[in-house]
Amino acid sequence: MTAERLLVFSVGRELFALNLTEVCEVMEPQQSYPFAGAPPYYLGLINFHGNLTALLDFAQYLGAGSRPLPGKLLVIDTKLAHLALKVDAVGSIIDAQSITGATRSEEPLIEALLETPQGNLRLVRLETLLSSLEDDLRAAAPKSAPGGN
Amino acid sequence: MDMSQYKALFLSESREYLRTIAEQVVALEQSPADRSAIDALFRGAHSLKGMAASMEYGDVVVVAHSMEDLMARVRDGALPFGAGVADLLLEGVDLIDALLQDVEEERPSSLPTDGYAARLASYVPAPEKKAKKPDEAPKAAPTAAEPAQASEPAPAAEAERAKESTTELGGTVRVKTELLDHLINLTGELVTNKQRLLSIGRELASPALNDAVSETSKLLRALHDEVMKVRLMPFEAISDRFQRSVRAVAKKSGKEINFELTGREIGLDRGVLEQLVDPLNHILRNAVDHGIEDGEERERAGKPARGLVKLSVSRDRDRIHITVRDDGRGMEPQSMIEAAVRKGLITPEEGELLSPRQALMLSCIPGFSTAKEVTDISGRGVGMDAVNAAIAKLGGTLGIESEPGQGTSITLKLPLTIAIIHALLVQCGQIKTAIPVNAVQRTVELSRRQIETVGRRQMFQLDDESIPLLSLNRVLGLPLGRFPDGILPLFVTEAKGRRVGMVVDRLLGQHELFVKRLGRPLDGMAGVAGGATLGDGEIVTILDISELL
Repeated sequence: MTAERLLVFSVGRELFALNLTEVCEVMEPQQSYPFAGAPPYYLGLINFHGNLTALLDFAQYLGAGSRPLPGKLLVIDTKLAHLALKVDAVGSIIDAQSITGATRSEEPLIEALLETPQGNLRLVRLETLLSSLEDDLRAAAPKSAPGGN
Repeated sequence: MDMSQYKALFLSESREYLRTIAEQVVALEQSPADRSAIDALFRGAHSLKGMAASMEYGDVVVVAHSMEDLMARVRDGALPFGAGVADLLLEGVDLIDALLQDVEEERPSSLPTDGYAARLASYVPAPEKKAKKPDEAPKAAPTAAEPAQASEPAPAAEAERAKESTTELGGTVRVKTELLDHLINLTGELVTNKQRLLSIGRELASPALNDAVSETSKLLRALHDEVMKVRLMPFEAISDRFQRSVRAVAKKSGKEINFELTGREIGLDRGVLEQLVDPLNHILRNAVDHGIEDGEERERAGKPARGLVKLSVSRDRDRIHITVRDDGRGMEPQSMIEAAVRKGLITPEEGELLSPRQALMLSCIPGFSTAKEVTDISGRGVGMDAVNAAIAKLGGTLGIESEPGQGTSITLKLPLTIAIIHALLVQCGQIKTAIPVNAVQRTVELSRRQIETVGRRQMFQLDDESIPLLSLNRVLGLPLGRFPDGILPLFVTEAKGRRVGMVVDRLLGQHELFVKRLGRPLDGMAGVAGGATLGDGEIVTILDISELL
């Protein structure tokens, strides 16, 4: 656990956290524009201060199923990626000092399982998420197909 | 005194000197008696040494000083300028370049420079080299016979020096490249906003607003052109590498080559220029290695023993043309077709349909190579497809012309900028997407009656050519269109040297787009060259059709 402060959010009835320095803004949902050739958990592209940013339905990505909530968008620091995660709700920011216990997770995406006064959190490993998204895109590359419409 | 603030300036100026030195070394090899080039080389090494000394970069001083001493021997007639001197100077250029890299990254240098200095100090040309090339002797002689002029600068060199100082004092400033990137980004955002104003103007039907937007458009076009000019860098920023790479390949393959470069002053966008180094290097290496015949073969064909490779850059309105022309053996369209059939890349029937121009473009199919022997110089036939893909990614096109026995010319046509492009907007299912117009040969509205089925393929006739149809929806994994009125909109593009009709749901017209990169994770997505915002705020991806097909 190296982060000093964590941003807590929920997806599909579970609590997650991201290192606060990896998130640059929490936004209300906004219109996104679909694009082709990507897995279905991409909701589309949004305009974040002029940056074209991929919007990921994090619940669908995790296989947790989307909940009928307007949700919030967590925009990842633009120096790291052009990516926003649609999550169900955003909670508080917590100090690393308030963590009462931490255990290693076997899931590559989760850096650690943290015990805090807010409940048990799953700390997301952002670099693993980005690499895994890139691998999935390469695997989903469109294939040429003969024939007209 | 804290010199760190001058480091960036020192690095950029030193690299400019290195570039000039490398160019002059290669030029001097072809005309060793060129007095002004010898003086300029000496001055270049001297200036570099002085700058490094004032910044206290001792290793750079040692190397530059040795080069200066070597050039002084050449200037004073004690040493003829030959291949050995050229090799040593180019080695020095590489050594200083590596040392500058250490300076830039603030790491201590681990490169030994003493050995280099000692070799230069004791350098004596090998006598057998002269015996091998008797034709070089008379050229070298005048240099040796002019020691009297050495102590005084030649008038031409004086004039050149004066010109240099005028340029330096001509009111120019150095600007960080990030600032220029930021300027083009802001201009791009303004172009997007102009499209938005145009949409609002159309909705409101206000003549006053339309006039104002139209005026803004003109100003914006002028601003864009000016910003682009500022971002342009002369082609010579990369050209020294080509001279050196041609020289190296020629030496390795034992061929004598004259390399000519024209249009070095032509400016290209920094972003385009950076992406051109590898493709052009590959084309040039191919020209020397496979295009130019060896001396004996050339003489048998009635050609001069020394081959010619020309790299010319010119500007045609908002496009740059770069041509690599050689006077070598040329390519035979028919043998290209036969090789492609033999390798199973096309069927004999497909081969018969190809025009000579299309046959030459077969060299851009992955895995194609007609070279009798694979050499370690120009690779293993995996290069031209990568070159073609890189040029297409820049929004450019690659064309090949060849006359058997006379030579080959490969022309790249590139946009001045890759930031703002014209693109055809199309609708596929629920998705709007854009295709750069350089990839669109024409648009067609095809009646179902015009479609023929050949085997599993659907084809149509255009300009007496049978063109296969593909569905862009299908390529993108989208539901297929219905076309109840029996009319199929499509655009014609080229893939693997053949024209293809790409059927879409609707053609939405041409738009001026400011291309933005998509960043992680979408940057690595196959077939997508970037994204753009339309006037109404809608975001579209820009497709790289050659990568998709």
